[in-house]
Amino acid sequence: MMLDPIAAPLERYLDLLSARQKLSAQNIANADTPGYKTRDLDFAAEMEAHMAAGPPAVVEVEGLKTRNDGNNVSVDREARLLAENSLRFNAAAQLLRGQFRAVRSAIQEGRSG
Amino acid sequence: MPLSSIAPTLPASAAIRPPQLAGESGGPEFGNLLRESMARVEGLRAGAGEAIGQLLAGEGELHQVAVAAQKAELAFELFLQVRNKVVQAYQEIMRMQV
Amino acid sequence: MSLFSAISVSASGMAAQRARAELLVENLANVETTRTPQGGPYRRKDAVFATAPAESPFGSMFANQLAPEGVEVVEVVVDQRDPERRYLPGHPDADPDGYVAFPRIHPAEDMVDLMGAARGYQANVSAISAVKDMIHRSLDLLR
Repeated sequence: MMLDPIAAPLERYLDLLSARQKLSAQNIANADTPGYKTRDLDFAAEMEAHMAAGPPAVVEVEGLKTRNDGNNVSVDREARLLAENSLRFNAAAQLLRGQFRAVRSAIQEGRSG
Repeated sequence: MPLSSIAPTLPASAAIRPPQLAGESGGPEFGNLLRESMARVEGLRAGAGEAIGQLLAGEGELHQVAVAAQKAELAFELFLQVRNKVVQAYQEIMRMQV
Repeated sequence: MSLFSAISVSASGMAAQRARAELLVENLANVETTRTPQGGPYRRKDAVFATAPAESPFGSMFANQLAPEGVEVVEVVVDQRDPERRYLPGHPDADPDGYVAFPRIHPAEDMVDLMGAARGYQANVSAISAVKDMIHRSLDLLR
Protein backbone atom coordinates (compact mmCIF):
# COMPACT_ATOMS: atom_id res chain seq x y z
CA MET A 1 0.00 0.00 0.00
CA MET A 2 1.11 3.57 -0.53
CA LEU A 3 1.92 3.80 3.13
CA ASP A 4 4.29 0.87 3.33
CA PRO A 5 7.63 2.34 2.30
CA ILE A 6 7.42 4.87 5.10
CA ALA A 7 5.53 2.84 7.64
CA ALA A 8 7.33 -0.49 7.44
CA PRO A 9 10.59 0.54 9.14
CA LEU A 10 8.63 2.43 11.78
CA GLU A 11 6.49 -0.59 12.45
CA ARG A 12 9.53 -2.80 12.82
CA TYR A 13 11.05 -0.24 15.16
CA LEU A 14 7.92 -0.39 17.33
CA ASP A 15 8.06 -4.19 17.31
CA LEU A 16 11.67 -4.21 18.43
CA LEU A 17 11.17 -1.59 21.11
CA SER A 18 8.25 -3.41 22.66
CA ALA A 19 10.17 -6.70 22.58
CA ARG A 20 13.09 -4.96 24.26
CA GLN A 21 10.85 -3.48 26.94
CA LYS A 22 9.51 -6.91 27.78
CA LEU A 23 13.03 -8.24 28.18
CA SER A 24 13.95 -5.34 30.46
CA ALA A 25 10.94 -6.09 32.63
CA GLN A 26 11.99 -9.71 32.75
CA ASN A 27 15.57 -8.81 33.67
CA ILE A 28 14.36 -6.60 36.48
CA ALA A 29 12.04 -9.30 37.82
CA ASN A 30 15.00 -11.68 37.84
CA ALA A 31 17.54 -9.20 39.20
CA ASP A 32 18.05 -11.40 42.26
CA THR A 33 17.61 -14.82 40.71
CA PRO A 34 20.79 -16.88 41.11
CA GLY A 35 22.38 -17.78 37.79
CA TYR A 36 20.13 -15.59 35.67
CA LYS A 37 21.81 -13.82 32.78
CA THR A 38 20.63 -10.53 31.32
CA ARG A 39 18.70 -10.86 28.06
CA ASP A 40 18.40 -8.36 25.23
CA LEU A 41 18.06 -8.01 21.45
CA ASP A 42 20.85 -7.11 19.09
CA PHE A 43 18.91 -3.97 18.24
CA ALA A 44 21.20 -2.65 15.52
CA ALA A 45 21.31 -5.98 13.70
CA GLU A 46 17.57 -6.41 13.94
CA MET A 47 16.91 -2.95 12.56
CA GLU A 48 19.30 -3.51 9.71
CA ALA A 49 17.43 -6.62 8.75
CA HIS A 50 14.31 -4.55 9.07
CA MET A 51 12.51 -6.25 6.31
CA ALA A 52 12.59 -9.39 8.41
CA ALA A 53 9.34 -10.39 9.99
CA GLY A 54 8.79 -12.53 13.01
CA PRO A 55 10.13 -12.26 16.54
CA PRO A 56 13.64 -10.86 16.99
CA ALA A 57 16.37 -13.06 18.38
CA VAL A 58 17.02 -12.89 22.11
CA VAL A 59 20.67 -12.87 23.11
CA GLU A 60 22.62 -12.84 26.35
CA VAL A 61 24.32 -9.56 27.03
CA GLU A 62 28.10 -9.45 27.11
CA GLY A 63 30.27 -7.38 29.36
CA LEU A 64 28.13 -7.31 32.46
CA LYS A 65 29.58 -7.90 35.88
CA THR A 66 28.56 -11.23 37.34
CA ARG A 67 28.00 -11.50 41.06
CA ASN A 68 28.64 -14.41 43.40
CA ASP A 69 25.27 -16.00 42.76
CA GLY A 70 25.82 -16.02 39.00
CA ASN A 71 23.42 -13.17 38.34
CA ASN A 72 24.58 -10.32 36.10
CA VAL A 73 21.56 -8.02 35.98
CA SER A 74 22.34 -4.34 36.35
CA VAL A 75 19.20 -2.64 37.58
CA ASP A 76 20.65 0.71 36.53
CA ARG A 77 21.07 -0.51 32.97
CA GLU A 78 17.55 -1.89 32.88
CA ALA A 79 16.04 1.26 34.35
CA ARG A 80 17.82 3.34 31.74
CA LEU A 81 16.58 1.07 28.96
CA LEU A 82 13.03 1.20 30.26
CA ALA A 83 13.05 4.98 29.96
CA GLU A 84 14.84 5.00 26.60
CA ASN A 85 12.56 2.42 25.04
CA SER A 86 9.49 4.31 26.20
CA LEU A 87 10.70 7.58 24.72
CA ARG A 88 11.68 6.01 21.43
CA PHE A 89 8.43 4.15 21.18
CA ASN A 90 6.54 7.34 21.80
CA ALA A 91 8.51 9.16 19.10
CA ALA A 92 8.05 6.40 16.53
CA ALA A 93 4.34 6.12 17.30
CA GLN A 94 3.94 9.88 16.84
CA LEU A 95 5.72 9.72 13.51
CA LEU A 96 3.52 6.88 12.39
CA ARG A 97 0.41 8.75 13.40
CA GLY A 98 1.67 11.68 11.38
CA GLN A 99 1.98 9.41 8.37
CA PHE A 100 -1.56 8.18 8.78
CA ARG A 101 -2.83 11.72 9.12
CA ALA A 102 -1.00 12.79 5.98
CA VAL A 103 -2.42 9.95 3.93
CA ARG A 104 -5.89 10.57 5.29
CA SER A 105 -5.62 14.24 4.36
CA ALA A 106 -4.48 13.35 0.89
CA ILE A 107 -7.43 11.04 0.43
CA GLN A 108 -9.90 13.59 1.70
CA GLU A 109 -8.33 16.39 -0.30
CA GLY A 110 -9.28 14.56 -3.45
CA ARG A 111 -12.89 14.47 -2.41
CA SER A 112 -13.80 17.95 -3.53
CA GLY A 113 -11.77 17.89 -6.70
CA MET B 1 -15.88 -15.00 12.22
CA PRO B 2 -16.29 -14.01 15.84
CA LEU B 3 -13.46 -11.55 15.62
CA SER B 4 -15.21 -9.41 13.06
CA SER B 5 -17.29 -7.73 15.74
CA ILE B 6 -14.21 -6.06 17.14
CA ALA B 7 -12.48 -5.57 13.84
CA PRO B 8 -12.38 -2.03 12.54
CA THR B 9 -15.87 -0.99 11.57
CA LEU B 10 -15.89 -1.74 7.89
CA PRO B 11 -19.06 -2.96 6.25
CA ALA B 12 -18.91 -6.41 4.76
CA SER B 13 -17.44 -6.23 1.31
CA ALA B 14 -20.60 -7.74 -0.06
CA ALA B 15 -22.33 -4.44 0.56
CA ILE B 16 -19.88 -2.58 -1.59
CA ARG B 17 -20.18 -3.16 -5.29
CA PRO B 18 -18.78 -1.02 -8.00
CA PRO B 19 -21.59 0.39 -10.10
CA GLN B 20 -22.18 -1.51 -13.28
CA LEU B 21 -20.53 0.57 -15.91
CA ALA B 22 -22.16 0.42 -19.27
CA GLY B 23 -19.73 -1.30 -21.55
CA GLU B 24 -16.60 -2.39 -19.80
CA SER B 25 -14.71 -1.37 -22.90
CA GLY B 26 -15.26 2.32 -22.12
CA GLY B 27 -14.41 1.92 -18.49
CA PRO B 28 -11.93 -0.87 -17.99
CA GLU B 29 -9.74 1.56 -16.16
CA PHE B 30 -12.47 2.53 -13.77
CA GLY B 31 -13.56 -1.03 -13.26
CA ASN B 32 -10.06 -2.24 -12.60
CA LEU B 33 -9.31 0.63 -10.32
CA LEU B 34 -12.30 -0.17 -8.20
CA ARG B 35 -11.55 -3.85 -8.15
CA GLU B 36 -7.99 -3.20 -7.12
CA SER B 37 -9.06 -0.86 -4.38
CA MET B 38 -11.58 -3.33 -3.11
CA ALA B 39 -9.04 -6.14 -3.13
CA ARG B 40 -6.66 -3.99 -1.16
CA VAL B 41 -9.33 -3.16 1.39
CA GLU B 42 -10.14 -6.81 1.79
CA GLY B 43 -6.51 -7.73 2.18
CA LEU B 44 -5.88 -5.11 4.81
CA ARG B 45 -9.06 -5.90 6.65
CA ALA B 46 -8.01 -9.54 6.78
CA GLY B 47 -4.64 -8.39 8.05
CA ALA B 48 -6.28 -6.41 10.82
CA GLY B 49 -8.40 -9.40 11.79
CA GLU B 50 -5.32 -11.56 11.88
CA ALA B 51 -3.48 -9.05 14.07
CA ILE B 52 -6.36 -9.11 16.54
CA GLY B 53 -6.31 -12.89 16.52
CA GLN B 54 -2.62 -12.87 17.30
CA LEU B 55 -3.08 -10.43 20.12
CA LEU B 56 -5.73 -12.62 21.70
CA ALA B 57 -3.49 -15.66 21.34
CA GLY B 58 -0.83 -13.81 23.27
CA GLU B 59 1.39 -13.68 20.21
CA GLY B 60 0.87 -10.25 18.76
CA GLU B 61 1.12 -6.72 20.02
CA LEU B 62 -1.44 -4.02 20.53
CA HIS B 63 0.48 -1.56 18.36
CA GLN B 64 0.41 -4.06 15.50
CA VAL B 65 -3.35 -4.25 15.77
CA ALA B 66 -3.58 -0.44 15.81
CA VAL B 67 -1.37 -0.06 12.74
CA ALA B 68 -3.23 -2.78 10.86
CA ALA B 69 -6.54 -1.16 11.76
CA GLN B 70 -5.40 2.26 10.57
CA LYS B 71 -4.13 0.88 7.29
CA ALA B 72 -7.38 -0.96 6.67
CA GLU B 73 -9.36 2.15 7.45
CA LEU B 74 -7.27 4.29 5.13
CA ALA B 75 -7.59 1.79 2.32
CA PHE B 76 -11.32 1.77 2.84
CA GLU B 77 -11.54 5.55 2.78
CA LEU B 78 -9.52 5.62 -0.39
CA PHE B 79 -11.80 3.02 -1.88
CA LEU B 80 -14.83 5.10 -0.94
CA GLN B 81 -13.42 8.18 -2.59
CA VAL B 82 -12.49 6.29 -5.71
CA ARG B 83 -15.94 4.78 -5.87
CA ASN B 84 -17.57 8.16 -5.42
CA LYS B 85 -15.48 9.59 -8.21
CA VAL B 86 -16.37 6.71 -10.46
CA VAL B 87 -20.06 7.11 -9.75
CA GLN B 88 -19.79 10.84 -10.33
CA ALA B 89 -18.06 10.35 -13.63
CA TYR B 90 -20.59 7.74 -14.64
CA GLN B 91 -23.48 10.04 -13.82
CA GLU B 92 -21.94 12.87 -15.75
CA ILE B 93 -21.49 10.65 -18.76
CA MET B 94 -25.10 9.52 -18.49
CA ARG B 95 -26.24 13.12 -18.31
CA MET B 96 -24.58 14.00 -21.59
CA GLN B 97 -26.92 14.64 -24.42
CA VAL B 98 -26.14 12.26 -27.18
CA MET C 1 4.50 -12.60 24.78
CA SER C 2 2.61 -9.41 24.51
CA LEU C 3 3.28 -6.34 26.59
CA PHE C 4 0.48 -7.44 28.86
CA SER C 5 2.43 -10.48 29.99
CA ALA C 6 5.37 -8.23 30.75
CA ILE C 7 3.16 -6.74 33.44
CA SER C 8 2.64 -10.23 34.86
CA VAL C 9 6.39 -10.73 34.85
CA SER C 10 6.93 -7.52 36.82
CA ALA C 11 4.12 -8.46 39.18
CA SER C 12 5.84 -11.76 39.90
CA GLY C 13 8.99 -9.79 40.64
CA MET C 14 7.13 -7.64 43.10
CA ALA C 15 5.66 -10.68 44.82
CA ALA C 16 9.03 -12.38 45.10
CA GLN C 17 10.78 -9.31 46.51
CA ARG C 18 7.97 -8.83 48.96
CA ALA C 19 8.24 -12.43 50.17
CA ARG C 20 11.96 -11.95 50.51
CA ALA C 21 11.44 -8.76 52.51
CA GLU C 22 8.98 -10.48 54.82
CA LEU C 23 11.49 -13.19 55.64
CA LEU C 24 14.19 -10.63 56.30
CA VAL C 25 11.91 -8.70 58.59
CA GLU C 26 11.13 -11.91 60.45
CA ASN C 27 14.84 -12.56 60.85
CA LEU C 28 15.44 -9.09 62.19
CA ALA C 29 12.54 -9.33 64.60
CA ASN C 30 13.88 -12.61 65.97
CA VAL C 31 17.55 -11.75 66.42
CA GLU C 32 17.34 -12.51 70.13
CA THR C 33 14.71 -15.25 70.10
CA THR C 34 16.06 -18.14 72.14
CA ARG C 35 12.85 -20.08 72.40
CA THR C 36 10.54 -21.28 69.61
CA PRO C 37 7.56 -23.65 69.47
CA GLN C 38 9.76 -26.09 67.56
CA GLY C 39 12.27 -26.00 70.37
CA GLY C 40 15.58 -24.23 70.30
CA PRO C 41 16.38 -20.75 69.11
CA TYR C 42 15.00 -19.05 65.99
CA ARG C 43 16.75 -20.12 62.80
CA ARG C 44 17.39 -17.62 60.04
CA LYS C 45 15.25 -17.97 56.90
CA ASP C 46 16.28 -17.18 53.37
CA ALA C 47 14.25 -16.96 50.17
CA VAL C 48 15.54 -18.74 47.09
CA PHE C 49 14.52 -17.17 43.79
CA ALA C 50 14.14 -19.03 40.53
CA THR C 51 12.90 -18.15 37.09
CA ALA C 52 9.35 -19.27 36.49
CA PRO C 53 7.00 -18.82 33.56
CA ALA C 54 4.70 -15.89 34.16
CA GLU C 55 1.05 -15.90 33.32
CA SER C 56 -0.02 -14.65 29.97
CA PRO C 57 -3.38 -12.91 30.21
CA PHE C 58 -4.17 -14.16 26.75
CA GLY C 59 -3.66 -17.84 26.11
CA SER C 60 -0.43 -18.67 24.39
CA MET C 61 0.24 -22.14 23.14
CA PHE C 62 3.40 -21.22 21.34
CA ALA C 63 6.65 -21.40 23.21
CA ASN C 64 9.04 -18.95 21.68
CA GLN C 65 12.05 -17.03 22.79
CA LEU C 66 9.91 -14.25 24.11
CA ALA C 67 7.86 -16.51 26.39
CA PRO C 68 7.42 -14.57 29.61
CA GLU C 69 9.89 -15.56 32.33
CA GLY C 70 8.95 -14.22 35.69
CA VAL C 71 10.36 -15.17 39.04
CA GLU C 72 9.14 -17.01 42.08
CA VAL C 73 10.33 -18.04 45.50
CA VAL C 74 10.90 -21.76 45.06
CA GLU C 75 12.22 -22.49 48.49
CA VAL C 76 12.55 -21.02 51.92
CA VAL C 77 15.87 -22.21 53.26
CA VAL C 78 16.10 -22.50 57.02
CA ASP C 79 19.55 -22.11 58.50
CA GLN C 80 20.72 -25.53 59.67
CA ARG C 81 23.96 -24.49 61.24
CA ASP C 82 24.50 -24.89 64.93
CA PRO C 83 23.16 -21.92 66.82
CA GLU C 84 25.45 -19.42 68.44
CA ARG C 85 26.19 -20.24 72.05
CA ARG C 86 26.73 -17.52 74.59
CA TYR C 87 27.65 -17.92 78.18
CA LEU C 88 24.75 -16.53 80.24
CA PRO C 89 24.25 -18.72 83.28
CA GLY C 90 21.37 -16.71 84.70
CA HIS C 91 19.30 -16.89 81.49
CA PRO C 92 16.02 -18.87 81.69
CA ASP C 93 17.01 -20.82 78.57
CA ALA C 94 20.52 -21.63 79.71
CA ASP C 95 21.59 -25.22 79.42
CA PRO C 96 23.25 -27.09 82.34
CA ASP C 97 26.62 -25.58 81.36
CA GLY C 98 25.20 -22.07 81.44
CA TYR C 99 25.20 -21.56 77.69
CA VAL C 100 22.26 -20.12 75.81
CA ALA C 101 21.62 -20.87 72.13
CA PHE C 102 21.02 -17.76 70.04
CA PRO C 103 20.08 -17.39 66.38
CA ARG C 104 22.89 -16.94 63.89
CA ILE C 105 21.76 -13.67 62.43
CA HIS C 106 23.79 -10.61 61.48
CA PRO C 107 21.30 -7.75 61.62
CA ALA C 108 23.47 -5.47 59.51
CA GLU C 109 23.53 -7.96 56.64
CA ASP C 110 19.82 -8.54 56.75
CA MET C 111 19.17 -4.80 56.86
CA VAL C 112 21.20 -4.36 53.71
CA ASP C 113 19.35 -7.25 52.11
CA LEU C 114 16.09 -5.67 53.12
CA MET C 115 17.06 -2.46 51.35
CA GLY C 116 17.94 -4.54 48.33
CA ALA C 117 14.51 -6.17 48.41
CA ALA C 118 12.85 -2.77 48.67
CA ARG C 119 14.84 -1.46 45.75
CA GLY C 120 14.05 -4.57 43.72
CA TYR C 121 10.37 -4.13 44.50
CA GLN C 122 10.51 -0.52 43.39
CA ALA C 123 12.32 -1.41 40.18
CA ASN C 124 9.51 -3.80 39.27
CA VAL C 125 6.97 -1.08 39.94
CA SER C 126 8.86 1.20 37.55
CA ALA C 127 8.92 -1.53 34.94
CA ILE C 128 5.15 -1.87 35.10
CA SER C 129 4.84 1.87 34.70
CA ALA C 130 7.06 1.90 31.63
CA VAL C 131 5.20 -1.00 30.04
CA LYS C 132 1.86 0.65 30.71
CA ASP C 133 3.20 3.77 29.03
CA MET C 134 3.94 1.78 25.90
CA ILE C 135 0.50 0.24 25.92
CA HIS C 136 -1.08 3.67 26.14
CA ARG C 137 1.06 4.93 23.27
CA SER C 138 -0.05 1.92 21.27
CA LEU C 139 -3.66 2.84 21.92
CA ASP C 140 -2.89 6.36 20.75
CA LEU C 141 -2.09 4.92 17.35
CA LEU C 142 -5.78 4.23 16.99
CA ARG C 143 -6.68 7.88 17.25
